Amino acid sequence: MTAQQASSDVQRVTAGYILRFDVHQRIQHILMFSSFIILAVTGLPLKFSDNAVSQWWIAVWGGIDNTRMIHRVAGLVMAADFLYHISYIFISMVLLKRPFPLKMMPNLNDFRDFIQDLKYTFGLSKEKAKFDRFSYREKFDYWAVGWGLAMMVGGGLILMFPVTAANHLPNWVVPAALVAHSDEAILAVGWIVIVHMFFAHLSPSIFPFNKSIFTGTVPLAKYKEEHPLEYDRILAKAGMESDRKEERPAAMEVVASEQP
Amino acid sequence: MEPKALFDGHPLHKLLPVIAGIALAIAAALDLKTSAQAYDLDSNNCLACHSSPSLSKQNGQGSVSLFVSANELTASAHRYLDCTSCHTDKPHQVQTPLTKQSLAQKCGTCHAYEYKLHLTSIHGQKLSNGNSDVATCTDCHSTDSNPHSVVRVLEPTASTYPKNIAQTCAKCHNNPQLMSKYGIVEKVYESYMRSFHGKAMKLASDKLAVELLNKATCTNCHGTHDIMEVNDPGAPVAGMANLAKTCEQCHPGAGVTFASGFLGHKEANPSFLPPVYWGERFFYIFTRAVLAVGGLMVSFEIGRWGVGHIAARIRRSREQDD
Ligand code: HEC
Ligand code: HEC
Ligand code: HEC
Ligand code: HEC
Ligand code: HEC
Ligand code: HEC
Ligand code: HEC
Repeated sequence: MTAQQASSDVQRVTAGYILRFDVHQRIQHILMFSSFIILAVTGLPLKFSDNAVSQWWIAVWGGIDNTRMIHRVAGLVMAADFLYHISYIFISMVLLKRPFPLKMMPNLNDFRDFIQDLKYTFGLSKEKAKFDRFSYREKFDYWAVGWGLAMMVGGGLILMFPVTAANHLPNWVVPAALVAHSDEAILAVGWIVIVHMFFAHLSPSIFPFNKSIFTGTVPLAKYKEEHPLEYDRILAKAGMESDRKEERPAAMEVVASEQP
Repeated sequence: MEPKALFDGHPLHKLLPVIAGIALAIAAALDLKTSAQAYDLDSNNCLACHSSPSLSKQNGQGSVSLFVSANELTASAHRYLDCTSCHTDKPHQVQTPLTKQSLAQKCGTCHAYEYKLHLTSIHGQKLSNGNSDVATCTDCHSTDSNPHSVVRVLEPTASTYPKNIAQTCAKCHNNPQLMSKYGIVEKVYESYMRSFHGKAMKLASDKLAVELLNKATCTNCHGTHDIMEVNDPGAPVAGMANLAKTCEQCHPGAGVTFASGFLGHKEANPSFLPPVYWGERFFYIFTRAVLAVGGLMVSFEIGRWGVGHIAARIRRSREQDD
């Protein structure tokens, strides 16, 4: 770990809060969920065209052609957000010389955490898994969005220019893009509504609403509960004593050896 | 109070007869529209008898209704034709009912162009061979195959209005018994409604202007009066070269690759567009598996929380008991 990062980590702590999302990440999330909602409400009626509600809903938007236009604009916003995120990582690494965001990479610990949570669920262990910066669920959400975006943006562009696509690609690409686009959409909406909404906002310890993705900050106490490993490290760097260190020295070692 | 007193000395008093006259005229005009006797061009008073819903005759097969709805006729494309222009001056000497073929012939006496095309179509050819399962003029031009309710083709309620055409063809082509008789196995109506074109048509509002109903429907791909058997070399859907030209009417630049990626009324299978088939299989399993895992994760979390909650409550009440 570079000295620069260590000091920036410490800077994240302010008066009872830890900074979790910087302003770019917050903007990216706002762009992502607003385009996502518009895409879902303008795309689903086409998937469920048999439903009587769909015809009414399309009329609300001023007809199928308007709906498709709005769907495409929202899709382009989402694609732009994707590019924003890629350039954000690129600039942070190449120009600002920040290290590669290793914390987002899946690793063996995630699997262990998952098993630990399973054990906890079935009463085989009294402890929940302890997370570093990102839990396995958060990593899964992140990479699922990555895979989903590739499917949705790629498939969407092919469906937007089916003739051009067919003139340059094999004949099965257009119908396959439709399958991918439509099934992946159901998966994405299902996952967001069931899993993401639950773990980010509705789960008993958070309910009803978690505003940290908008403010960027998390109260220290909450952070300690949700991301104890990172919490300990940051506080140690800040020269404050962590009360957890003795509890799980082994886990700390794993994390420490993970640093580049 | 005496009603007269109300108007005494009032200027309206003098206008009363005029108002009454106007009201009568409006009532008469409304009546004109609905009354059977008043069907404008019924100069021979045919409706005096034929507007009775119970009028019928007996023939070999049983009872045939001879009822003619003046309302339907007044809204039809032929509202300016007298009965006798179709039924001759001596209607009671002509044998009816007509067969599907002689009916087309009758319509053809005036609509010669459509009739000639129709005779070359698969429907018309089979009609000429005495097959009565296939479509004649009124099957497509009237929702109840009634020659008196043929409306202009671009009226939003017409069975030939682009939004309604799929339903019109579906009367026969969505009937599996009828279709299997002719070896047509594809579920053409369902597959069309699954396609983008069909969904867009279905989602369009009922009275959407015709120029906005620009997605393909049955007749854009198969033709109208000149529908051919799909593997007839001249059919607009036969072979990829013809099909590409058909798509190109609306998709500029569409080529053979575009057309050959079209599922038509079929579903992808291991030998027809296999990547699409395997893609469907993959996503079928993948979406369900991922959502199931997500659902489990959520229910585990809720379940564990619930158990903990209840356990804590029991512990607390035990402590109180002690
Ligand atoms: C006096 C009542 C009356 C009037 C007026 C009348 N019809 Fe009829 N029409 C009948 C009856 C009754 C039959 C059934 C005859 C039968 O049983 O064969 C019939 C049968 C018909 C048939 C079926 C032909 C058949 O013999 O199978 C047609 C078509 C028809 N009428 C048309 C007309 C037209 C057109 C007019 C006006 C020019 C007209 N009718 C005027 C009473 C009338
Ligand atoms: C556009 C041409 C057309 C006009 C106008 C028309 N008809 Fe017909 N009508 C037909 C045809 C075609 C049939 C079908 C004959 C059949 O199926 O046997 C028919 C059937 C009938 C039948 C039933 C005959 C049967 O045996 O089923 C009656 C009755 C009849 N018309 C009366 C009238 C009357 C009365 C009028 C005027 C108010 C009228 N039609 C106007 C074309 C016309
Ligand atoms: C398979 C269904 C079908 C059959 C059978 C059929 N039509 Fe049509 N017809 C249509 C459709 C659909 C249209 C509307 C075409 C359009 O919008 O371009 C149409 C249009 C017409 C028009 C309006 C002029 C035009 O060409 O647009 C006339 C007149 C007509 N048909 C008469 C007939 C007659 C007469 C017969 C019988 C000989 C007949 N049709 C048989 C489906 C059919
Ligand atoms: C006596 C001649 C005559 C006969 C027979 C006749 N029609 Fe017509 N038809 C006309 C005329 C004239 C018009 C045009 C009416 C108008 O433009 O207002 C017309 C209009 C139509 C239209 C509407 C065309 C459009 O542009 O929207 C259709 C559809 C049609 N007829 C179908 C039929 C069918 C089906 C039959 C047989 C049951 C039939 N016609 C028999 C004369 C006839
Ligand atoms: C976008 C073009 C397109 C549209 C729209 C379309 N079809 Fe087809 N249709 C085809 C092609 C291509 C084939 C031949 C390949 C196949 O069977 O899929 C075909 C085949 C058929 C067949 C023969 C099937 C068999 O098993 O032999 C029928 C019947 C048919 N279509 C009726 C319809 C009807 C009814 C509609 C409207 C509900 C319709 N089509 C809409 C393109 C189209
Ligand atoms: C009254 C019933 C009826 C209606 C309405 C009808 N059809 Fe047909 N159609 C048939 C029958 C029956 C056959 C089979 C004829 C045969 O193969 O001998 C057929 C055959 C066909 C075929 C050829 C199928 C093949 O085997 O290649 C096509 C294409 C077709 N119809 C399209 C249409 C379209 C498009 C419409 C609507 C505009 C329509 N039909 C309306 C009864 C109907
Ligand atoms: C009557 C005109 C018409 C015909 C013929 C037609 N289409 Fe279309 N089709 C449209 C319209 C309009 C759209 C929607 C606008 C767009 O995406 O270009 C569309 C959309 C599509 C789409 C979906 C694009 C998306 O955004 O999801 C595909 C795929 C397609 N058509 C394939 C075909 C094929 C293959 C054929 C030939 C067998 C064909 N079409 C024939 C009018 C037509």
